Amino acid sequence: MDGAVKQSVAQAENPGSTFERLGLGVGLRNSHFDHILKAWPEVDWFEAISENFMDSGGRPRWVLDQIKERYPIVLHGVSMSIGSTDPLDRAYLAKLKALADDVKARWVSDHLCWTGIMGLNSHDLLPLMLTEEALTHVAARVRIVQDVLERPLVLENPSSYVQFQQSTISEPDFLRALCDQTGCKLLLDVNNVYVTCFNAGTSTDDYMKAFPFEHVVQMHLAGHQHCGTHIVDTHDGPVCDEVWQLFRAAWQKTGGASPLLEWDGDVPEFDRVHAEVLRARAYIDGIDPVEAVATRSRTSAATSTPVDFMVPNVMGDSRMQTL
Amino acid sequence: MTTATLPDMQRWMMEALIAPGRVDGASVAGTFKPGAHIDAAACLGIYQRSYILRLRQCLIEQFPATAHALGQDLFCDFADEYLRSCPSDSYTLYELGRRFAGWISDNRPDKDLPESERESWIDFMIDLATYERALFHLFDAPGHEGKPWPDGQEADAELTLLPSLVLGHYRFPVAWYYHEVRAGKSPAHPGPASQYVAVVRRDFQTTTYPLSPFHHRFLMAVQQLGSIDAALEDLAAWSQRPLEDVRNSWRTDVRQGWIDAGFFIRRGDA
Ligand SMILES: [Fe+2]
Repeated sequence: MDGAVKQSVAQAENPGSTFERLGLGVGLRNSHFDHILKAWPEVDWFEAISENFMDSGGRPRWVLDQIKERYPIVLHGVSMSIGSTDPLDRAYLAKLKALADDVKARWVSDHLCWTGIMGLNSHDLLPLMLTEEALTHVAARVRIVQDVLERPLVLENPSSYVQFQQSTISEPDFLRALCDQTGCKLLLDVNNVYVTCFNAGTSTDDYMKAFPFEHVVQMHLAGHQHCGTHIVDTHDGPVCDEVWQLFRAAWQKTGGASPLLEWDGDVPEFDRVHAEVLRARAYIDGIDPVEAVATRSRTSAATSTPVDFMVPNVMGDSRMQTL
Repeated sequence: MTTATLPDMQRWMMEALIAPGRVDGASVAGTFKPGAHIDAAACLGIYQRSYILRLRQCLIEQFPATAHALGQDLFCDFADEYLRSCPSDSYTLYELGRRFAGWISDNRPDKDLPESERESWIDFMIDLATYERALFHLFDAPGHEGKPWPDGQEADAELTLLPSLVLGHYRFPVAWYYHEVRAGKSPAHPGPASQYVAVVRRDFQTTTYPLSPFHHRFLMAVQQLGSIDAALEDLAAWSQRPLEDVRNSWRTDVRQGWIDAGFFIRRGDA
């Protein structure tokens, strides 16, 4: 893989962590399967969406089994619902554990959010009211999850479009307390920091000053849609300059957490996505930033948390034949 | 909503996503602070709008031929109403369309009319959605890839149906319509005509084979009775043909072709 980047990422100090510095990774997407199996691109690692593979008896799981032989895999979930007041789904956790063991996941992440209640799933990453009540509730659930998974859980700061009147704890303080109480780790999504702070009218500087960087093992980069009065986290384009600046400031403080690019809407060809994460080198090494590569213009409405990239193209693999 | 507990708040917000019209402005402003440039209701509106857009898009991708047949606008109306009555109850999006065909059937506008007076295009939509759901499920179901396939030398008693084999009977040629859409054509809604099919996944390729009603009945019998011999006897009794004729027809007309297509596996390899 990319030795230079891996080395430069690994040089940063992060004493006491057993989490590897994996280099620059790309989110694994269905539309790239054929390219990856054919070209075996020089990418450092892949992040796979857990729910796409934990029940798969078809080609997606077979593809992941090929990929895991050549690249480090990290599992990233969207349905654990760690903040929900519904009971934890034990069957889900058991499948997640089996998958993580099977693909030798370097770690397993999900989001500080809830996705549903009353047995329903919104398939969105919904915001938590950040209170002492919520902290006690989430901490207890993180401990259960870590017992089942037999590894620390890694939690990501989500993009948010609302702030609760009743919240009493800031997101960085909440995450710090959660890590201190449970030993869980963090995935810092700098795009989400930018989106959340812009929408709330709060300062990214204040957020970053309070953030517990010592617990961060992975970072996310992504593009968003700026709608003037608010920003929607669409993951459908290149990373903007402001987010790269946040990345530059945060990456050093994390001691070299592994960066990963998410591109979920209007997903272009693999090399374009890979090129975008390689731009991180400039912000890691302090050399001049690489110009953004032209990207085709957007075709979709501003939808937060796009999930349709997870739906496979079943029609493409179907045919009709007479005997 | 001034001092809501965590469960209260989550129930309230989930209902606000599924039925946006039922939320009152006072409770929204009591729950959320205004955003930097938009009020609290508009902030919540981002979640409400995205909720329906993202799940509707997933349904379009899980039912591309049904969406083509209904047209984008009408399909979205159906999808929105379906998502309101049958919100997702699974951690996986793959289950999102599980109840869709059944929901259309239960909610068709002419459901109180006698069957002869019902709109046939709705029957077509129900059957097409049923077929699409079967294909979608089969795509990622446990399969036989990586295990050995029979070559035809086996005795009948050694063979068993591929566990994931789908046998379908539709009132319209839905498999034909689906593959016309796949080929990029714009087929007209077909008239009623029974279609019997077997759908098989082999080497991760899903193939639909049209069957005669007779062959469909035979394969259904193999599935239900668990043995080829028992199914041959059942078919002979049902068709009032001599068992030897039926067995002969199986051996010479279809056996090898069906084995090559992947309808059967060896019992020990299941
Ligand atoms: Fe993220």
